[in-house]
Amino acid sequence: MGYAINFGQVFEYLPYLAGGAWLSLQIAFLAFCGGLVLGLLGAFAKTFGGPILRRIANAYVVFFTNTPQLVQIYFLFFALPEAGILLSSYVAVLIGMTLNAGAYLTEIQRAGFSSVRQTEMEAAETLGMSRWQQVRYVIVPHIARVLFPPLSNHYILMTLGTSMAAIFGVEELTGRALNVNSETFRSIEVFTITGVMYILVTLVASAILGVAGRALFRAKMRIV
Amino acid sequence: MQHLDIVDISARYGSHQVLRGISLGVDRGQITSLVGPSGSGKSTLLRVLVGLLPPETGHVSFDGQRIDYSNKKNVKAIRDRFAIVFQQYNLFQNMTALDNVTIAPIKIRKRNRAEVIDEAEELLAKVGLKEKMRSYPDQLSGGQQQRVAIARALALKPELLLLDEVTASLDPELVSEVLDSIRQLAAEGMTMIIVSHEMGFVREVSSTVAFMVDGKMVEVGSPADVFENPKEARTREFVNKILQH
Ligand SMILES: Nc1ncnc2c1ncn2[C@@H]1O[C@H](COP(=O)(O)OP(=O)(O)OP(=O)(O)O)[C@@H](O)[C@H]1O
Ligand SMILES: [Mg+2]
Repeated sequence: MGYAINFGQVFEYLPYLAGGAWLSLQIAFLAFCGGLVLGLLGAFAKTFGGPILRRIANAYVVFFTNTPQLVQIYFLFFALPEAGILLSSYVAVLIGMTLNAGAYLTEIQRAGFSSVRQTEMEAAETLGMSRWQQVRYVIVPHIARVLFPPLSNHYILMTLGTSMAAIFGVEELTGRALNVNSETFRSIEVFTITGVMYILVTLVASAILGVAGRALFRAKMRIV
Repeated sequence: MQHLDIVDISARYGSHQVLRGISLGVDRGQITSLVGPSGSGKSTLLRVLVGLLPPETGHVSFDGQRIDYSNKKNVKAIRDRFAIVFQQYNLFQNMTALDNVTIAPIKIRKRNRAEVIDEAEELLAKVGLKEKMRSYPDQLSGGQQQRVAIARALALKPELLLLDEVTASLDPELVSEVLDSIRQLAAEGMTMIIVSHEMGFVREVSSTVAFMVDGKMVEVGSPADVFENPKEARTREFVNKILQH
């Protein structure tokens, strides 16, 4: 009723918001890479580890997949300084998201491990492949192909999840949108543009991942 | 001395006793066929021979040398000389037909790449897959995958070739082609153990037929003996059943 849509003023902030989107991408990418490594360790522990390692990995996964990510980051943000560890909000968010991703990616990667076909492993063995050659030529290419889609999905989810960094004052896309909002009071316009930017960021990421996936895994693996 | 000497082999999967004292001798350049009802342990015996399932009792000798299946080096050495074509083919799904055939000679045996590729192309052409060399297993029919698996085994130039149901999913034209290749291989001195349900095929190519039931060797003899003149009642029953079909 009383609200007249006017994008003009908000458009001036586009570069500022784009900078925020870039930071969101960075957080998502770094946390994803960290989570991938943690998840790999977790998946190894759960698949090949002894009972103690398995239990540790399990506890880690259960804890991080059954508590809200926000609470996890709050914990890092407020509890660690008490222990003498001071974290900037950026680092706290990054660590929190990495630990959270590690738990989910442990489960995803473990499923990939267990999808390796026993029959192929037997063929590899009887052809005389060493353990290492089996990993290199059979296990890794297979797992990479199986894991690519769910990992891509999780990456997109994480990109969106970065918006909670705003709560801790990190100036990523949502953080900057809040700033613009409190300066212009053009809430509808600001969050429309912010939404569009998130869509662009995820669509571009999906497209890149899709092309990369096809290039890597339609051509699958070439030996000759 | 026998080329391959299997003596009193027993093996089990967990608590399930599958092989119960199997003995069989195989001469060089001979084709020995394993026949018997489903579940009698034919595939299991082949798996024991290539070291995928350690035998519980008994032993296997190749050219008079005992194979120690608990010794990794020994098993590796034997795998350089034996090749197996699995009943389920077990091709590498992430590799083309050509890569499936060339990976072991190139990456494991470290042979000259160009030479291996030439040979592999020739092998694949021989089994009628010239046009499918760049296809992945999931783009091939069962019979085509099987032929890739045969080419993969032959690319290793094994001294002993184990074939598990290789003619099961081939059409008649190809059966005769594969049959010819098998005969030619035998003429070149390769020793083979073939598991097959196709008695016509078995009769034609084998020098020895071994009939197994429930993990035991019931009768071993020439195709003529086993098919026309079986000594054991159990063999007679099996042969009659098959001939009726
Ligand atoms: N991996 C396994 N784990 C447990 N039991 C198995 C396994 N593989 C085979 N068996 C069992 O061992 C027995 C023998 O199986 P095997 O595959 O050797 O029979 P086969 O003679 O080759 O039969 P077919 O003619 O149907 O191929 C069967 O009872 C089967 O159920
Ligand atoms: Mg079988």
